[in-house]
Amino acid sequence: MKMKSSSTSSRKTFALISSIVLGATVITVPQIASGATPVSVFKVATSAAVTTWDPIQSFSTEAFYMPNIYEPLLWKNPDGSATEYTPGLASSWTHSTDGKTWTFKIRSGATFHDGSAVTAAAVKASFEESQKDGGAGFIWGPVNTFAAPSADTLVMNLAYSAPMDLIASSTYGAWVISPKALAAGIANSKYYDSGIDGGSGPYTIKSYSAGSEVVLSAYPGYWGSKPTYQIVDALITPDAVTAQQMMTSGQVDWSTTIPLTSIADLKHSGKYAINVYKSPFNYVGYFNTLRAPLNNPKVRAALSMAIPYTDIVKIGGQGYGTQAHGPVPAGIYPFDPSIPQYKKQLATAKALLAKLGVKNLSLKITYASENPAEARFVPLIASAFASIGIKADVQGILFNQQWAAAKKDPANAQDIFIVKYWPTYSDAGVDNLWSLFHSSTKPFFNLSYWKNSTYDNLVDDAAVLSGSDKVAAAKMYSQAMNILYTEAPGIYLYDEAQVTVVPRRLSVPKYNINYPFTAFFAGIKLAS
Amino acid sequence: MLRIIWKRVTSAFLVLFAASFFTFFLSRIVPNDPALAYIGGKTTAADEQKVRSLLGLDQPLPIQYFKYLRDMLKGNWGYSLSTKQPVLSEILKRLPATLELIFFAVGFALVVGIICGIIAAKKPKGFASSFIRIAAIAGISVPAFWLGLLLQLLFVGKFHIFPATGEFDIDIKFTNPIHHITGFPLFDSLITGNFTALTSGLKHMVLPALTLSAYSFGLITRMSRGNLLEVLGQEYINVARANGISERLILFKLALKNAIPPVITVTGLSTAYLITGTFFVEQVYGWPGIGGFAANSLISVDYPAIMGITILGAVGYLVINFLVDVIYAKLDPRVKL
Repeated sequence: MKMKSSSTSSRKTFALISSIVLGATVITVPQIASGATPVSVFKVATSAAVTTWDPIQSFSTEAFYMPNIYEPLLWKNPDGSATEYTPGLASSWTHSTDGKTWTFKIRSGATFHDGSAVTAAAVKASFEESQKDGGAGFIWGPVNTFAAPSADTLVMNLAYSAPMDLIASSTYGAWVISPKALAAGIANSKYYDSGIDGGSGPYTIKSYSAGSEVVLSAYPGYWGSKPTYQIVDALITPDAVTAQQMMTSGQVDWSTTIPLTSIADLKHSGKYAINVYKSPFNYVGYFNTLRAPLNNPKVRAALSMAIPYTDIVKIGGQGYGTQAHGPVPAGIYPFDPSIPQYKKQLATAKALLAKLGVKNLSLKITYASENPAEARFVPLIASAFASIGIKADVQGILFNQQWAAAKKDPANAQDIFIVKYWPTYSDAGVDNLWSLFHSSTKPFFNLSYWKNSTYDNLVDDAAVLSGSDKVAAAKMYSQAMNILYTEAPGIYLYDEAQVTVVPRRLSVPKYNINYPFTAFFAGIKLAS
Repeated sequence: MLRIIWKRVTSAFLVLFAASFFTFFLSRIVPNDPALAYIGGKTTAADEQKVRSLLGLDQPLPIQYFKYLRDMLKGNWGYSLSTKQPVLSEILKRLPATLELIFFAVGFALVVGIICGIIAAKKPKGFASSFIRIAAIAGISVPAFWLGLLLQLLFVGKFHIFPATGEFDIDIKFTNPIHHITGFPLFDSLITGNFTALTSGLKHMVLPALTLSAYSFGLITRMSRGNLLEVLGQEYINVARANGISERLILFKLALKNAIPPVITVTGLSTAYLITGTFFVEQVYGWPGIGGFAANSLISVDYPAIMGITILGAVGYLVINFLVDVIYAKLDPRVKL
């Protein structure tokens, strides 16, 4: 009897749930016909997360999206292009003979996504705010004043000559922002957080789900060529293997993140075009020059001869890279192929260290654990050191932790700090050479803690000279790089190549070394 | 009853306080700079100092902790260092997807686990029993992330049966967008009659739910089998057999009822375990839930997010334990709350 009652109760419950479900289905929301795609959608898997949508503060991987939403005055073309720059929001530009006054004519007919016109006043306000408070505001360091004498003229008055065409084409800190968004962003630091934009580019942000998805839609009022795809759906996929599977299974049209270890298989399948380009990414290992015996340049040079450069490129970069000529990557000014390189000479390194009286050396090497290339090649360095009797304690930690520890207590920090570096804009003289090795009272990016006044003077003078005479400045930079070779405050590991894997049915714009994180969606179309 | 509830609530607060205390100080003593994590990529010294001040990181740790507790009680769980969004809203936004995943995983583990346990107990020396025992041990011992990748490799890469990642096909949001009523996407697609989205969602659910359920399935199967074998050997079962009651009735009406309560306990505990199990599974399958958010927060030492997730996990454990006690007491009259 009891069993029967329990069974009846279950049936009643089932009936009740069924009624609720069926009843609820009556509240049917009208659907778009199944399978009908209302607009052309381009689906892409990417590892690029968004640190901030604030174009003034932007200084990280959101650079993947930003150049689709915002525009600078000029776009820098990759080496080998017919012209050095493509006009962006500036239709033409000139500079005075001393390189201290630059005049940009603002494009007519360009509008921001809120419908307002792009004017010289808007450009001036954007750059002034970037200079005052921007994440990469230091790029405007040479500028004394910005002026907008007319609606279509912007004048930059400099304290010293500088290549403002190059600076105005930077991937960070040079975006032109609508006055309305700029004011809102200044008033409220969280204004952009939900995915609001104030750009004038071919796409605008349609929706944003932090850490998972960015949806862009084509801006109908864009002054340039209309994009093929109305919608770009970027799925943030941190794991490269998953991103690869999404592309190969057809879940997305393209993945910008593919493990280097999979390239050979994808190439073999014949379905994908593999393109290899020079990139601005360069691997350096800082020696801690504050601590004995690494405070001796000869010890550092000897250790530089123990590094297995070829194997590092082969294993770390999976063959996609070349040994570096100093900290300036190939393809970026002021790269100089004549800068000498250390070669792996274990016997010589061992003999030199013995001659210098270095015994029982034990070195702590730190690297960023989130970087798979570093995780692959740092053990090779430890192994090479072991073969000449040097003990290496390898520690893979998050870059933030690695950097914080290195800045906190230099004298007791790591012995070798491995870093992947790239310039803020395409001038590795004012960035890589200055940031990585110029003296500083408090360590920031110079984590070798090395100080050399001759080097400092060369880099400082070359930076000023590059505004008016790039060739002469390059010669000074080369002298500085030769000092870096002989003094060896760092190990110059390799220049990483950029590999893109593109389904053959797609036509994707060529990788631009000057915008290394960016996929330019407006130029993507089906291959003819 | 009121006294029991009062005792439970008091102990719950103590547990939550201890969880928040240890998580806060542990996440802050690791060598990491939250200001750098907040900024993200490259930065300048001035910006670093500005952010340190903005986040209150320039104040002593005990003051930071006190302020955190005060704000948390007001519903302000701080801002995620990586997404820059309020932690509480980030959690609430992702919670339904995780709860749906756990619901399917537990449902699968419970139903299939009990059925397998019954089959294995019915003929303990048969081939089926051996196979089920091996499957149960594999379910318990195989790491979720490995199983996830294996299933992905087979059913996505090789046979192209299921999608690789996500909760729905990407096109769904453009062609058949889900109208949110409860916030639970699958349930909402069901009650609004959006069967295209429902079918897509169920297809996307299979592999993550299977992966997540493996551990619970193993436990439930082993527990069901063991308990049933024990109950089937008891005297009242022999008496029933002697009285000519059919084996089917003995198994389903007499033995199962007494064998099930411990299975409920195991299910409850393994459900609580699944909360952390989702960390790996959601990461592998790109599931837009709490687990993937938690995994990314841990990797990037996003301490406000880690704090929020830990507190949510602790609340989850407390609620599940309480529910298990209630259900156990309901099923077994000898047990009093």
